[in-house]
Amino acid sequence: MATTVGMLPNAPGETGTSARAHRAPYAGLALMIRFIVRRNWLRMLIWLIVLAGMVPLVITSQRELFPTQAARDAYAAVANTPALAALTGLPYAAGTLGGILNIKLWMTIAVALAFAVIFLVTRNGRAEEEAGRTELLRAGVLGRHAYSLANWLVAAAFAAVIGIACAGAAMTQGLPGDGALLMGSSFLGVALVFLAVSAVTGQLARTSRGANALASIVLAVAYLIRAGADVGSESGKANWATWLSPIGWAQQTRSYGENLWWPLLLCLGAALALCWIALTLERQRDLGSGLLPEHVGPRGASALLRTQVGLTLRLQRGSIIGWTLGVIVFALFFGGVATAMSNLLSPDNAITKAFTSHSSNVLDGLLGFFLMANALLVAAFVLQSSDSIRAEEADGRAELQWASAISRVRWAASRMAVPAVASFVLLALSGAAIGGAFGAGVGDTSQIARFFWASLAYWPSVLLVIGVVMLCAAALPRAAASVTWALFGVVVILSMFGDLFGLPDWVVENTPFTATPRLGTDFAVLPLIVITLLAVIAGGIGLWILRRRDLTSA
Amino acid sequence: MTASLAVDVRGLEKSFGPAKALDGLDLQVGTGTVAGFLGPNGAGKSTTIRILLGLLRVDGGHATLLGGDPWRDAVELHKRIAYVSGDVTLWPSLTGGQAIDILGALRGDHDRKRVDAFLTRFDLDPTKKARSYSKGNRQKVGLVAAFASRAELLLLDEPTNGLDPLMEGVFTECVKEARAEGRSVLLSSHIFAEVEKLCDTVTIIRDGRTVESGTLAELRHLQRSRVTVALDGDPATLATVDGVHDLVAERGQASFTVDSVALPTVLAALAPLGPRELVSTPPSLEELFLHYYGVHPATESMRSHRAAE
Repeated sequence: MATTVGMLPNAPGETGTSARAHRAPYAGLALMIRFIVRRNWLRMLIWLIVLAGMVPLVITSQRELFPTQAARDAYAAVANTPALAALTGLPYAAGTLGGILNIKLWMTIAVALAFAVIFLVTRNGRAEEEAGRTELLRAGVLGRHAYSLANWLVAAAFAAVIGIACAGAAMTQGLPGDGALLMGSSFLGVALVFLAVSAVTGQLARTSRGANALASIVLAVAYLIRAGADVGSESGKANWATWLSPIGWAQQTRSYGENLWWPLLLCLGAALALCWIALTLERQRDLGSGLLPEHVGPRGASALLRTQVGLTLRLQRGSIIGWTLGVIVFALFFGGVATAMSNLLSPDNAITKAFTSHSSNVLDGLLGFFLMANALLVAAFVLQSSDSIRAEEADGRAELQWASAISRVRWAASRMAVPAVASFVLLALSGAAIGGAFGAGVGDTSQIARFFWASLAYWPSVLLVIGVVMLCAAALPRAAASVTWALFGVVVILSMFGDLFGLPDWVVENTPFTATPRLGTDFAVLPLIVITLLAVIAGGIGLWILRRRDLTSA
Repeated sequence: MTASLAVDVRGLEKSFGPAKALDGLDLQVGTGTVAGFLGPNGAGKSTTIRILLGLLRVDGGHATLLGGDPWRDAVELHKRIAYVSGDVTLWPSLTGGQAIDILGALRGDHDRKRVDAFLTRFDLDPTKKARSYSKGNRQKVGLVAAFASRAELLLLDEPTNGLDPLMEGVFTECVKEARAEGRSVLLSSHIFAEVEKLCDTVTIIRDGRTVESGTLAELRHLQRSRVTVALDGDPATLATVDGVHDLVAERGQASFTVDSVALPTVLAALAPLGPRELVSTPPSLEELFLHYYGVHPATESMRSHRAAE
C-alpha cells in the first residue's frame, strides 16, 4: 500500500518551485472565497436589503416631515441637543435633506454594519475553527492564510456593496452624488476597521463567543469615546477626542456638508495594520488555540447560585444588565426630546392624532405613547427572560433538574419570578428616567413621580406576558417560542400603529397595553385588575398543565 | 418481598401517539444490587427510566420506586435517587463545578468533600465552562454529581457514553463501591463487558417487552455452552447423542454446543470415547443478547429447547 502514497494526485511534489512555496500560504484562496460566499450569501443579502432599504425610507419620511426649506432650517436650529450628540453624533448640515438623513440614520447603519461584519468574520473564522471544520479544510491543500484572507475579502466586498447600495439609494432619492458616495464610503470605512478588529480578536480568543465579545467591546468603546467627545463639544464642532474613535473618523467625513475624503485614509490604514497583525498572529499560533488565556470559572456554586432564583438570575445576568441599560437610554432619550418633538408636531395632523391617542394635549399624548412603547420594550425583555421555561426543557437541561427533588411548579415559578421582579424594576427605573429627562427640560422635578407611577401601571400587562409564556411553554412546548413572539408582534403593531392603520377602536383599545390607562388620561383601576386576573389565570393553567404532562425530550 | 425491591415494574405500557414504546415491560432491582438493563436503541430503556423519574406518565401497568409512586411522590423520591442520562446537558455559561453544586443543592445532600474526591477520581477540571467540555467531560459532571450524592438508588442510563477506557474503569469501581455501601443501581448499557462485570441481575428487553431476566448464571443456564474436546475415539458418533448441536468432528477432535440440561447425558456419551482434554465455554452475555435478537445461528433449536421446558 505504501507505494500508492506517492501517486495521490494532491501529494506535494518534491520539485516545488520557490514561486509555489511563496504562494503556498494563500493556496486555495479562490476556492475559499466561493465557499464562504456560498455559505453566507443569504445572510449577506438580508443585511443588504435591511440596511440599504432604510435609506430611501428615511429620506421619504424626512421629506414629508420637513417639506420646506423653512421647516428644515427650523429643525437645524433645534437639532443640536446633548441627547442627539451622544446617540448619533454632532449634527451638521441639518438644514439639508442629506444632513438630516445622516442625523437620523448614519449611526444606525454604521454600527449595524460594524456588527454585521464582526459576526460575519467570526462566523467564518473563529467559529469554524472552534467547530473543527477549519482543521478538516486545512488538512487538504489549503494555505495557512487562505481561509482567513478569503473571509476578510468576502466581508470587505459585502461592506463595499452595502456602501454602494446606500449611496445609490440616496442618489435615486435626489440627494447630491458626491455626498451620497462619501456617505456610502464612510460606511465602508467603519466596516473595514471592525472587520480588521474582529480579524484580530478571532486570533486572540479561542471561542467564537469570545471573539465576538472582544470585537463588540472595541466597537462599544469606539462608540462611547465618540459619544463622550460629541457631548463635550462646546463649539458644535468635533473636538480632539472624536479623533480617537474610528466611528468618529468616518463620521467626520461630513458627507452632504464639507465632504472630506481624507479621514477615510485613517480607516483604511487602521484596517490594513490590524489585518497585518492578524496574519502575523495566525502565522505564529497553533490551529485551534487562542492567544488569550482561557477563562477559568469558579470551582463551585455560591449559596445564591444554588437556589433556583439565583440560578435563573445568574444565567440571565448579561441579558438583564443589557436590557436595563438599553431601556434607560431609550427612556432618557425620549424624555429629553419629547418637548422639542411636540413643538414640531401639529395637533391637527392625522398621524399625530394616531400616535397621541387623540389626546388634546400633544405633549402628554406623545409622552404617553413613549411610556407605552417603553412598556412594550420591557415586555420584550420579559418574553425573552421567561422563555427559559421552554428553552431549558427544549435544550434537555430540564430533565436533570426535574429528576431532582424539586417540583415542576416550584421550578417554573422561580423562572417566572425573575422576569416579574426584573420588569417591575425596569418599569420603575425607566418611568423615572423619562420623567427625569422630561422634567429636567421643563424644570419640574415632580414629573419623576408622575411618570414612575404611570409606567408601573403597565406592570400587570407585563405579568400577563409572563402568564401567556408559561401557558404556551406548558401546552405547546415545541411551538411556544414562535407562538409567543408572533402574538407579541401582533400586540405591538395593534398597540402602536393600530390607530394609524385605521383599525376598529374596540381592537386597538383592548390590547393589554392600550387598555392600561395612559399618561394624561383618567386613571382607572378596573383594567389593571382584569389584566392581573388574566395573568394569574394564564400562568395558573400553564402550571397545572406542566405538572400533568410528560417531559418533552429533545 | 416488595420491601426488598428498589424498583418494581410490572406490565408497564407507554405510547407516544401511535407508537408503542413500552408494551408490558417487567423490571426488578433488588435493594443493594446492581441490575443491568440491556436492549438496543429504541427498545424502551430510556422511556422506562424516565417513567421511574416521574418525567413521563404511565399508560398502563405498575411502577414502584423505593416503595413509592414515581409520578405522585416524585419530589420526595428524588431526594433518595440520583440520575445520570446518556447525554448530560449542562448550562453552557456555568462551570462544571457550579453545575455539580446546583444539582447537589437541588437534591439537598450536597457534600463538598465527597464531590472533590470524585472530581479527583474522574480527573475532571471543575473550573472550566460547560461549553468547552467534551462529551466525555459532560458525562463526568453527571457521574460525579450522582456518585457524590447519598442517593439510595442510582438510575444510570448509558452513563459511560464518551468515556475513555481508563474512566470506564473508574466508573466500574464507583459502582462496586456504591453496592458495597448498600445502594441499589439500575444500569442501562450497551457495553456487555460492563454489565457482565458489574451486574447481579440482567434484564433484556426488546420492543418494549422484557424477553429475559434473571442472574447471569440463570440466563446462561438457558443457553448452550460450547465444548471443545480432544479424544481418542471417533468423534462422529457424537452426532447421534441427544443434546449435541452444531457438531464439527475432525480426527481426534470434536467441537459442539450443548444444552445445559443435556450435559450429564453428553458427558456420559463422551467418556467411552477417551477424552484427553476438554474445554467448556459458557455463553457470553453478548451471545445471549444477540440470541434474543435473532442474530444467533442457534435460534431455532433454542426455541425448541424452551418449548420443551
